[in-house]
Amino acid sequence: MSEFDFDAIVVGSGITGGWAAKELTEAGLKVLMLERGRMIEHQTGYGNETKAPWEMPFRGVGDADLYAREYQVQVRNRHFNEFTQDHFVNDAVNPYVNAPGTDFTWYRSYQLGGRSLTWGRQSYRWSDYDFGANKRDGQGTDWPIRYADVAPWYDKVEDFIGVSGAAEGLPQLPDGKFQPPMALNVVEQATREKIMARWPERRLTIGRTANLTVAKDEEGRAACQNRSICARGCSYGAYFSTQSSTLPAAQKTGRLTLMTDAVVEKVDYDPRTRRVTGVRWIDTATKTRKAATARMVFLNAGSFNSVHLMLNSASEAMPRGLANSSGVLGTHIMDHASTLSAIALMPGYEGYTTFGNRPTGVVIPRFRNMDALDGKGHSRGFSYQGGALQSGWTRGKREAGIGADYKNGLQAPGPWRMVLVAFADCVPRATNRLTLSRTKADANGLPALEIAFAFGAEEKAALADAKAEAAAMLTHAGGQVIMGLDTPNPGGGAIHEMGGARMGLDPKTSVLDRFSRAHDAGNLFVTDGAQMSSSACQNPSLTYMALTARAAAHAVERLKAGAL
Amino acid sequence: MSSEGGRAWNRREFMGAAALLAMVVGVPAGASIWSKVEDGDAPTDRQRAMIREVAQIVIPKTGTPGAGEVGTGDFVILALAHGLDGTRDPGAAAAIPAGVPAPRRPDGSLRYLDWLEGELDRRAKGNWAGKDAAAKTAALAALDAEAYAGDGRAPHPWKAIKGLILTGYYTSEVGGSQELRYEPVPGRFDPALPNPPGTRAISNDWTAVDFG
Repeated sequence: MSEFDFDAIVVGSGITGGWAAKELTEAGLKVLMLERGRMIEHQTGYGNETKAPWEMPFRGVGDADLYAREYQVQVRNRHFNEFTQDHFVNDAVNPYVNAPGTDFTWYRSYQLGGRSLTWGRQSYRWSDYDFGANKRDGQGTDWPIRYADVAPWYDKVEDFIGVSGAAEGLPQLPDGKFQPPMALNVVEQATREKIMARWPERRLTIGRTANLTVAKDEEGRAACQNRSICARGCSYGAYFSTQSSTLPAAQKTGRLTLMTDAVVEKVDYDPRTRRVTGVRWIDTATKTRKAATARMVFLNAGSFNSVHLMLNSASEAMPRGLANSSGVLGTHIMDHASTLSAIALMPGYEGYTTFGNRPTGVVIPRFRNMDALDGKGHSRGFSYQGGALQSGWTRGKREAGIGADYKNGLQAPGPWRMVLVAFADCVPRATNRLTLSRTKADANGLPALEIAFAFGAEEKAALADAKAEAAAMLTHAGGQVIMGLDTPNPGGGAIHEMGGARMGLDPKTSVLDRFSRAHDAGNLFVTDGAQMSSSACQNPSLTYMALTARAAAHAVERLKAGAL
Repeated sequence: MSSEGGRAWNRREFMGAAALLAMVVGVPAGASIWSKVEDGDAPTDRQRAMIREVAQIVIPKTGTPGAGEVGTGDFVILALAHGLDGTRDPGAAAAIPAGVPAPRRPDGSLRYLDWLEGELDRRAKGNWAGKDAAAKTAALAALDAEAYAGDGRAPHPWKAIKGLILTGYYTSEVGGSQELRYEPVPGRFDPALPNPPGTRAISNDWTAVDFG
């Protein structure tokens, strides 16, 4: 009998935790996956999925009074509403601390599946413009990997989760193994063509989204029904989530033990062997403490929570936190600087409408600072996401009028408009960091996480550039810009928080090696967003998944070689 | 406990009336939510009748029932009690011209129903509820025109109430699925369809609801 309870323990069941569990169990390992939140079963657990607004107490809008008291942060998330509120944390119960001068909106989902239930599903490869960014401008530490290291793992992940998208042959946004793309609507298609005619290097394309356009019957997943209510949970299994995709695969092996309501409070470390030995957790359902041992531990608690756990796992041997001999644990956190760059009226398409709620928008990939440094006060990139839409009944709130004519006027689809939201690269800075609060405890009596974060001149310059270019493109496409912003949303607004346990070549200046493995503990892997050394301007989840699959393969290889 | 036009409802009575209303208009399982209307936010009989009628004037019966008929008045009461659309923001009363009463809660937020009641009576030069239909509509139309004057961007308490009337109506079963179309499972995406006159918009076009 093994001296360990499990071959591997995976902390977290979200986007990367599910991938770690799948890959490790499929490789033959006996795995324990711990999830801090409650159980949500696929299909039967999505209580509000099919409800109409009139079946909800507050018509789907939600109880603003409750939100002001208990969901002050989460309510600022666009996907948070009465249908989805149970898929987000209660902020009053799960406090964190913003350092003086910080307004970081930390959106969280503590439940089986984590934020894989509520994510935006946008799935983009990073390129060598991204993996080479730190080296190129000297900010942050160089990534120890490049695109070629990750490309086969992107292939594997895309193939399994199902990513619909259009190949465009762009070096800054490498093509992947796509399912057929969703369609651009009539206004987006015309705008694409007009932008390309004027700026051949700029490409408006359909969002690459983890929604199936072709069913994966072998996995029990149906094609997307174009409801665009994904964050409620999808009984069709049409978008990638832990529940729809990786968890069934891991469970199919018979080697997965899943525990929910398990808040991990510490990773144990043995200084004699320089290995982690297992984890301890609080069973919040029974209010008891439990522990298990394993040959390796994967941290997939979500970028900030993985770092939080490592800081809380300080020991006599590692007084600054687990695997923190470098002292950089918690530093260089990032989130994309995002803002609403432009809204434009798009006249001339009144004769057209659409049917169906396409669950993705469009993207205009980065075009700045590629082979030439042409940024205006910034050295990295920005890209846009958004789309064209027809106004609906809510436009009546902005219009004067009462009576039958007013009512009849709101019956038809409204004017077309186009929205572009910019996401700019966030420079990794040592001053943007996570620490343990000295004054506030979390729900379980552990020191709460404190976040110090601010965007700098580079991000602001990028968003100013993005605003000007958005206006130029939409105007050229025949639009009338009615507003645009260049100030970044609060940190966390992009919901792409990352960094804090960065990868690097040098153990003195980084936490993880090229296989997402701690320099200081050879059987500890951190494969969620905490490992990121730069932010790129693309959504990062696909890269997290690819790096998780890659790390799992490496871990299995080492285990088989007897190195663990 | 008394106020102009009638006594204040207590919560139990209000819940009872709401349950009755639910039976009449088919609002499912809604009765429990009325327990969340605190006594201080419960309307008077007069106010409840007023907001129902106001909703009906804003969205009248055409080929489909109007907003008052489908319970939008009571939705507005609930929504105001819970601060939907920012209606607990203490800043709202700032938009009310000097000299016009701006009844407030202890937290500084506007008591919208009290304000609207006084405002309509003021415009009607008496009891608005007792005027004929044309006079009632005229008073409301004047208020609406004033609220949206200029570029229409300045905040105004009436805009908040009208916004909640629209929310209440177009998220009701009648407004959402008869006046407009409700397509819970489209099953496909058609990117470029003809849009001839008479096309009814889809009430659950969530992108339009968010950004439209």
